Amino acid sequence: MSESVPSVATAAKGDVIGELRHRLTRESLVRYAGASGDFNPIHWSDRIASAMGLPGVIAHGMLTMGVAVRVVTDWLGGTERIVSYQTRFASPVLVPDDDAGTELVVRGTVSEVGEETLTVLVDCRCVRPDDAEGAGDKVLGAARAVVRRA
Amino acid sequence: MPITPEHAGRSYPPTTPYEVTSAKVGEFARALGAVDDGTVPPTFGIVVANEAWQPLFSDAELGLQLKRIVHGEQKFEWIRPLRVGDVVTGTLTIDRIAQRGGADMVYTTVAIATVDGEPVGQASSTMIHTPEAEVGDE
Repeated sequence: MSESVPSVATAAKGDVIGELRHRLTRESLVRYAGASGDFNPIHWSDRIASAMGLPGVIAHGMLTMGVAVRVVTDWLGGTERIVSYQTRFASPVLVPDDDAGTELVVRGTVSEVGEETLTVLVDCRCVRPDDAEGAGDKVLGAARAVVRRA
Repeated sequence: MPITPEHAGRSYPPTTPYEVTSAKVGEFARALGAVDDGTVPPTFGIVVANEAWQPLFSDAELGLQLKRIVHGEQKFEWIRPLRVGDVVTGTLTIDRIAQRGGADMVYTTVAIATVDGEPVGQASSTMIHTPEAEVGDE
């Protein structure tokens, strides 16, 4: 970003508070499964994912959700101010079994400023390495974090 | 027997107490590509929720299978953040069941509180369960 990032006290509607990119590979999914305790086989077995009607192994929605909120916690310098964080899982994030994997592209924008709290809209897309110029597919729907201003 | 709207309102006993440790928080933060700065990521509550969800899969009356579930929606609400050293339980409630296009929509809440009774927050989830007979029909 070329412009300076506002503080939580001075942020106004429309301000971009941060951006990040994060690559997901099969290894990322294995690590997240162990760290979170979510061992649903659709996140590590192509055989079972296909049998369940999916095109292949998909990332845990909670992994995508957890990566995306870093744009907010990095801005705030921690988690103390976060009142709520929610999303709809708009489309699955396919993670092929190769070195390139897929990349999450995240941007946080202030969408509402109230007396005590403000809301950050978290835009999260997934971009395949062979489509680096593309805008990517939106994978989180209406993802937003409500943050205490003071 | 499958899950039905009559299962709404069903609650389960609290999970066994879970201690939030710096080792586990660090492992979770690194899995998200975050810097492990000792603070607990806002989605860490899913570790407690995962444990609290287990009765959904062991309660034979509901007929739910983990591999047939995809996550539809998730919300965390925090009265205060979880902190290393907290010892908490998760209490699962099935809020609502709906059928949509052959799938069961399972709406649940896991209330997270310390063993001293201090409410910390809650994790609300929508799970989309596709029963066996429906797979591959579309």
